[in-house]
Amino acid sequence: MTTVVSTPTPVVTARPVRPEAVPRSGPGLLGALRTLAARRFALTARTPREILVPLSTPVLFALVIAPALDSIGPSVPGIDYMSYAALGTAGLLIPLNCLFSGVGVIVDRDSGARRDLLAAPIPRSLLVAGNFVVALAITGLQLGVLLVASVLRGAEYDVTVSGLGWVVGASLLLAVAMYGVAEAVANRMPSVEEFTGALPGLAIVPWFFAGSLFPITALPAGLTAVAKVLPLTHTLALLRYGLLDDGGAGLHDIWGMTNTTAMATLSLGVVALFALVLTAVSVRVFTRSAVS
Amino acid sequence: MNHTTDQLPPAAVGVHGLRKTWPGGVEAVKGVDFDVAPGEVFGLLGPNGAGKSTTIGMLTTTVVPTGGRAHVDGFDVSDQPIQARAASAVVFQDPVVDRALTGRRNLLLHARLWGVSARDAAARIDEHVDGFGLTDILDRPVSTYSGGQRRRLEIARSLLSRPRVLFLDEPTVGLDPRIRYELLDLIGGLRERSGLTVLLTTHYLDEAERLCDRIGVMHEGEIVALDTPADLLAGLGIDVLELRVDSSPAAARALSGLRAGGFAGDDALALGSTVTVPLHGRPAADALDALGRAGVTPTAVTTRRPTLDDVYLRLTGGSLATPAAAA
Repeated sequence: MTTVVSTPTPVVTARPVRPEAVPRSGPGLLGALRTLAARRFALTARTPREILVPLSTPVLFALVIAPALDSIGPSVPGIDYMSYAALGTAGLLIPLNCLFSGVGVIVDRDSGARRDLLAAPIPRSLLVAGNFVVALAITGLQLGVLLVASVLRGAEYDVTVSGLGWVVGASLLLAVAMYGVAEAVANRMPSVEEFTGALPGLAIVPWFFAGSLFPITALPAGLTAVAKVLPLTHTLALLRYGLLDDGGAGLHDIWGMTNTTAMATLSLGVVALFALVLTAVSVRVFTRSAVS
Repeated sequence: MNHTTDQLPPAAVGVHGLRKTWPGGVEAVKGVDFDVAPGEVFGLLGPNGAGKSTTIGMLTTTVVPTGGRAHVDGFDVSDQPIQARAASAVVFQDPVVDRALTGRRNLLLHARLWGVSARDAAARIDEHVDGFGLTDILDRPVSTYSGGQRRRLEIARSLLSRPRVLFLDEPTVGLDPRIRYELLDLIGGLRERSGLTVLLTTHYLDEAERLCDRIGVMHEGEIVALDTPADLLAGLGIDVLELRVDSSPAAARALSGLRAGGFAGDDALALGSTVTVPLHGRPAADALDALGRAGVTPTAVTTRRPTLDDVYLRLTGGSLATPAAAA
């Protein structure tokens, strides 16, 4: 069958140049991150649904359902229920928004410039970070919109510097954790359709158990135990501790301690742990998906 | 002539015993060796599944080798992947662009990621787009581009960082013939424009012959021949006799008859109902006599110059047009 016309050539015809002779570098970590974030922002700005869809449900909940529930009588001892429920919708907004950004990950992979980005002289984890920065910025913006809208509708928050610190810290870490979930799941899903099918289970189901609209002590004991390990439960307790209830009732429901600062620190630590683990998982899944 | 290592020119791309075995045991690349000199246009030729794209993937560090070494511009792709990527650029087989963004934004993004300053990037974009016929469409979303325009954008993009090595993975596949020939001119002019080293993969023989200084023929994960196009063709002599008969069995009988008559050697081949026989200076009439003695009557007889297709068929026993099993 085979007639070799020309000798297969494992013959060395040239030697490699020494790397020191060719100083070449990439754009630097910060420069690359800025470029990647600008790219993601430009792409997101061209698909407004990625911003509007995650925002619409929580805002409607805060503006329509929370006041309606408040008017028919549910109450949490010592706390204005309208404000309580409005903050609870943040627990819907942050996961929804971060998970929706996973759609962009799949579009990048299937019909975007991801392979060119993978060939760039930068650490590949920056591709994840660039997307995350934009997801975080949009989530922060949406959270602000939600809080302002709820205030306009009648919610009352007690704003202090330390309280805002807990709110920002908890929101940020939850966003990091949920973006980690988005990146990991998106890189495992073969299509946008399958990913969007998984979204409700990832973003909405935990919300039912996390003390969003009622204290977790109102759940059956088994579900209360489940709620205590959800990062969302800790985040909502911290949001309310920071803006609504300096007694930290939600934190007490989780930890059963008396020192609220200690409980808040523990809860922040739990959310931070989830953020750390899920970020590591997301970078690993991305790398395995991108490099074979 | 023998060279000592120190006397040799530096290689832009060096591949030594490079191997890739996918999980499950499929050997996509089975230990290939080649070097590409600076400024050379080197082609990897072979059908789908031959291992060309996997080789490019290893050189661009998106596929992890399971054996061997490779370097790009002196940088080991396994140990110094970021430096290797900084020295190179790649044009992929499929479109790899942000379609929602404008052409200019795509170019700028690439340049910035390869460390080109914003000012230099803008200047280089202006410098490149005219030659690639992109000036009028550059500020339109790429989603509005034709296939050829998108390809030109990708090639222009790959040059913005002034790479030492450019990888072109099947750069003209899927394009209509007119656009394909335009792109061949464009690719052929790259070396004159910038003196860069080009490693391209293709399964188009004319493309390889036209563009490449040397060609490595890949088959089932191995390089089965490596030489200049002229030297690969020279092995088959000046003329090839091509006979058409009315069936595959008749072609097999014809080949047996020609071999029995001492007219055809191991480099003659029957494929389907066609028999090709390198003449090696012998008159075609002798072949026809041998054929008559074998009792086979050809339906068509032609003599022609050998092509890379003939070379490939003799090396592999298969046609480039017939995709092999995907690796």
